[in-house]
Amino acid sequence: MSPSTDFAGAAGMTTPTRRHKKPDWLASKIFTVALYGSCVVFLLLIAGLVEELVRGSMLSLRTFGLGFLWSSEWNPVTSQFGALPFIYGTVVSSAVALLLAAFSGVLAGIYLAEFAPRRVATGLALLIELLAAVPSVVYGLWGLFVLAPFVTNWLGPLLQATLGFLPIFQGNIFGVNMLLAGLILALMIVPTIVVVTRDLILAMPMRYREASIALGATRWEAVSKVILPALRPGIFGACMLALGRALGETIATTMVIGNRPAISVSLFAPGYTMASVIANEFTEATTNIYLSALVELGLLLLVISVIVNGAGRLLLRLLQRSA
Amino acid sequence: MSVTTNAGTPAPMPGSASGTASESAAMGGDAPPRIAIRNLDFFYGANRALKGVTLDLPDRTVTGMIGPSGCGKSTLLRCLNRMYDLYPGQRATGQVLLEGRDIIGGDIGVDELRSRVGMVFQKPTPFPMSIYDNVAFGVRLHERLSKAELDQRVEWSLTRAALWGEVKDRLATPATGLSGGQQQRLCIARTIAVRPEVILLDEPTSALDPISTLKIEELIDELKVDFTIAIVTHNMQQAARCADQVAFFYLGELIEVGPAGQIFTAPREPRTREYITGRFG
Repeated sequence: MSPSTDFAGAAGMTTPTRRHKKPDWLASKIFTVALYGSCVVFLLLIAGLVEELVRGSMLSLRTFGLGFLWSSEWNPVTSQFGALPFIYGTVVSSAVALLLAAFSGVLAGIYLAEFAPRRVATGLALLIELLAAVPSVVYGLWGLFVLAPFVTNWLGPLLQATLGFLPIFQGNIFGVNMLLAGLILALMIVPTIVVVTRDLILAMPMRYREASIALGATRWEAVSKVILPALRPGIFGACMLALGRALGETIATTMVIGNRPAISVSLFAPGYTMASVIANEFTEATTNIYLSALVELGLLLLVISVIVNGAGRLLLRLLQRSA
Repeated sequence: MSVTTNAGTPAPMPGSASGTASESAAMGGDAPPRIAIRNLDFFYGANRALKGVTLDLPDRTVTGMIGPSGCGKSTLLRCLNRMYDLYPGQRATGQVLLEGRDIIGGDIGVDELRSRVGMVFQKPTPFPMSIYDNVAFGVRLHERLSKAELDQRVEWSLTRAALWGEVKDRLATPATGLSGGQQQRLCIARTIAVRPEVILLDEPTSALDPISTLKIEELIDELKVDFTIAIVTHNMQQAARCADQVAFFYLGELIEVGPAGQIFTAPREPRTREYITGRFG
């Protein structure tokens, strides 16, 4: 055998001989093929999805062209279809949801990871994870019967009294509106943000905490100045995941947003989202062009999700570079 | 320095002449110790990790703490800046006097304590920010300095940590881009930027290559002119090279303390002898 195996400690022992085992190339080949295969399946699925959406919306694409994007007209009787109110409703309700959920979710995650007594943290985390398991139709019902009166009677007037100078809080407070949809969506996506933030903070090695505290930082300073900046990409990723869910959420939004294809600056006015209009009108789309317009909305929803995600990543990269 | 185990010999009072004249001379004369540890016990829950430790850290000297894993040397270090506060269930009893004021009893607020007693950890822990902001981090917590003063402080700290020449052209770049050895010197710069009196080093070179280790050891030698240093190490040669005074711990007890030369050539306790000759540990 090679001299390098001849340790001093092994002196006097017979050096074991080495028996070569043939590499099992068949098994590794099968394994590699299986790995590739599972990726290819996903690629095919995505390609198939896009292909079907494009084909289904071809009629609408040809008829309305790019005008579909900025037309506000949605009239099945005259066969005039434009997507702007739905794009607006989707983006605004999701933005409201993300804003509320990111802010409160990150704070709650910090609390659970850093400040809550262990027993409280375990209990709370369990409850928050339960929130993620509640069916969205239940959220919709709760939003309609509990949250809606709360918004019209209390939250709305309060916001108007304090922040009423902002255009988004002006005008009549409708019983179902975009703020309500944003609130419900926030509730639905906040568990993801809380749980991911908590797990990320807990996974951060203790020595970073200790090093900042040894320099005289308080626990809050350690978290806000050292731990969170290091976790920015992860938390951002969680927010994107959550935003994806908000953009596509259908039932709960449909139940509380009012389903009126109009663009209003006020969050107290009803709106309509792309997912909602597809779900609501798919069964009554009797003409080919009507159906095609709905499918194009689905395609748009997919494109918007991709754009939002990409823009988010770009923003993050810019933030990282400047930091 | 008197040899003090948990029972028997009374603790030397701060300032009292302890040990022989030649020993005291090596320890900085008759000046009172910067830190005086008196009868210190430490508990992880019900587990007693330190047993009646009494030890002086003389001003502007390096005290090396050696002993097998789990002997309590790192625990002792973490008492000196109350790092254990972070963990429920950990507590200390006894006294650690920083110029006569008790750290354990809370005579000194943690904010002041940590600006006076700095700590460097086993693994380099650069914060996810620029080199400059890393060094300025602690300073900004304790002091209100103008931009020019802060620049000056950062340069001073990096120079003292023997890192200025290597990083002066890229202060704004992320600290995580530095090599392991540079990162550890950055952590030292970050610690001395606060201008503490005492620096605690918890196995500062165990994650570094030999050349980086050498640089850190040279640095320790230069820093002891201004700072009182306590270093925990598993490396006997390192303790011999860096420390003026060496303390040997075993199972939570301080077995023996004395000038480095004496500990490594003529230890009084058989257990010290066995440990430094590599018979256990």
